[in-house]
Amino acid sequence: MYAVLHPPNFFAQAAALENPELRKRPFAVFDGQAPREFVFAANKAARTRGVEVGMSRLQAEACDVTMLRRDVAGEDTAQGRLHEIVCRFSPRMELVADRPGTYALDICGMNTIFGDATQLAAKLRQSVMAAGFLANVAVAGNFHVAACLAWGRVGVSVVPPGCDAEAIGALPLSVLPLEPEHAETFKAWGIRTCGELAALAETDLISRLGQSGKKLHALACGTLPHLMMPLEASFESGLTEQMELDCPVDDLQRLLFVLSRMTTALLDRVRAKARAIASIQVVLLLDGGARHERLVRPALPLQDTPTLLKLMQLDLEAHPPSAAILAVELRAQSAPPYRAQHGLFLPQAPEPGQTEVLVAKLRKLLGEDRVGSPELVDDHRPNAFRMAPFMPPAPRRVEPSLLPVPVALRVNRPPQVINVQLVNERPVRVYWNSIAYTIREAAGPELLSGQWWDKAEWSRAEWDVRLMADGIERLCRIAFDPGSRCWYVQGTYD
Amino acid sequence: MGSAAAIRVEVETKLAQRVPAALTLKIKQAPELFSTGMADVDAMLGGGIPRNSITEVSGTASTGKSSFALSLLANVTKLGNACAWVDVNDALSPESAAAAGVELQRMLWLRMSAERKQKLSDKPWSRLEQALKATDLLLQTGGFAAIVLDMSDVLPQHTMRIPLATWYRFRLAAEHARSALVFLTQSPCASSCATLALRCDPAQTKPFSDHGETPLFAGQQYQLLRERNRNEGSPFQQRKPAGRVAWAAETQWTRCR
Repeated sequence: MYAVLHPPNFFAQAAALENPELRKRPFAVFDGQAPREFVFAANKAARTRGVEVGMSRLQAEACDVTMLRRDVAGEDTAQGRLHEIVCRFSPRMELVADRPGTYALDICGMNTIFGDATQLAAKLRQSVMAAGFLANVAVAGNFHVAACLAWGRVGVSVVPPGCDAEAIGALPLSVLPLEPEHAETFKAWGIRTCGELAALAETDLISRLGQSGKKLHALACGTLPHLMMPLEASFESGLTEQMELDCPVDDLQRLLFVLSRMTTALLDRVRAKARAIASIQVVLLLDGGARHERLVRPALPLQDTPTLLKLMQLDLEAHPPSAAILAVELRAQSAPPYRAQHGLFLPQAPEPGQTEVLVAKLRKLLGEDRVGSPELVDDHRPNAFRMAPFMPPAPRRVEPSLLPVPVALRVNRPPQVINVQLVNERPVRVYWNSIAYTIREAAGPELLSGQWWDKAEWSRAEWDVRLMADGIERLCRIAFDPGSRCWYVQGTYD
Repeated sequence: MGSAAAIRVEVETKLAQRVPAALTLKIKQAPELFSTGMADVDAMLGGGIPRNSITEVSGTASTGKSSFALSLLANVTKLGNACAWVDVNDALSPESAAAAGVELQRMLWLRMSAERKQKLSDKPWSRLEQALKATDLLLQTGGFAAIVLDMSDVLPQHTMRIPLATWYRFRLAAEHARSALVFLTQSPCASSCATLALRCDPAQTKPFSDHGETPLFAGQQYQLLRERNRNEGSPFQQRKPAGRVAWAAETQWTRCR
């Protein structure tokens, strides 16, 4: 059983929704860019003055009607209001194609709540009219019959079961979705109502109009089947959990009980669709009206509550809210779960879920930018790198290289200032940490510079030196910075 | 003879609840080893650095500790394993690591920061404490085939103050996590907890310039001395290898010659 709600002239009604005083005056809604503005919709009073959809703005203004520019946002608001109303009457609904603002509701089983079909239709129309819309409601066993009745009859129309053909038979042909050439043909044949069309032989109609003739005949007979495709809320938008706390909470440990329950509820929903949580946004409403938002995004989609909870805890401990918490909201995004093929003979690698928690704990201990994998950057400056998230690739074996072992440099971060004694522009002694080193050998200078095109310009002269003090030898890289006129220790070879 | 066997069975039965097979010799498993990438050093160590235990590499500055550790990590990562470098003084050069052949994506680098605790910025305690905590976390999580705790720039008097219980805990955790835990220090501090103790010394000095050429730092000779190896008595090792070996390291630019 279907109930179809049709607000006639929906765009004009939507335009008048925000300005109720317009309803008693003729007005037209125009769209398009000047000078090619055209009438998009008009109310009944304007149409009686000769305004038609499609005429230019100038022509419409000549009919002495109020002109309004089309407001798409307002139309969306009106559609939202209608949607909200029909949601109260049935969980299964569909937007009827080519008829703006028209909803079809599956009302099977709703009689226990709203009474029989007539009562439901009356209540539906009453609710819609209370919201400021004029609407027709039709109830029929066939979807298309209900849609045509709502389109063609004013008020509430209820068709008893088995009387679909009789109900639609009295309607004019204009309620059917006719192509212009078919409309011309039927006019030439003298067919004016659906009943007259249904009385024609189906085979004769098919031989003259093709498959569209068959469809129109079934429509006119009230027997065309329809597969309902109910509107469903997006799965992603439903991944939200909210909770208001009885009293303000300023202790994160206590909040974890709430977060655990909410995360488990989200994961249950996500697991039902064989998916995992890719990211979770924690929104805390704080005492005083402020909001504290944190986004926890594991490197791989997760499906277990303890890991997600630990990540949220570590993140909130690292970035605590500034006031007591009044309400909590979790918004999740789902993704296909991470799958990996393990093997007995694969090399050792940390579990992805455990690695996430480990890295979060280490970040809390050491700092945000102190944990990760080093990544060399394409820069002329020596020892340029950036920290990348630690995500070891899939295990694979690489043959070891046969190159000799390189000398490693231990870098001084930041470079340490030293005093250097020069003879013939070559360093001969170094004073570093209150120790006087004699330079036994020096190789250099190696002149380096970069970024001369902006303020971050740098240049230095680097020397590799073999230092000696108290019988202890040390191999270092020292550098002279012409900008600061200072000598620095860049690092020690080890 | 028969009475001795009977007594043994009786003793073992009595102790079975507390010490299973108390008087039966346990079969020692062959230690799992990671190659260091240097044939001579591997020969001296009986195959490489042992897994599931602590290896201590000590020596003063410029004795090749970092080069040795990076060479080890290069071999570990090339086998497809993940590893970690706990850097107490934030001194690791990623360029050197890449030049040594370390797959940087498989290396978790933990840089201890002195800035987080301003009051203790001039003391090594906060950084050491952070490093020990971080190493503990790594060992508890597991999955890292090798973990290097780099304390090369920490003075011996500071490392000696770390309680021995910490090293005992690390040894057990490394065994459980199947990780090779490598310490780089100026002087030995883990004492008996280290299965393998190595000392790095400078070897023959290679001059910067030969035959009047423009001076260029081309490479360095190092020496490695084995001070302790608990796996030495293993029946799997047929011949006792030498206790001292020299090895050479070259600068990256000499490869271009």
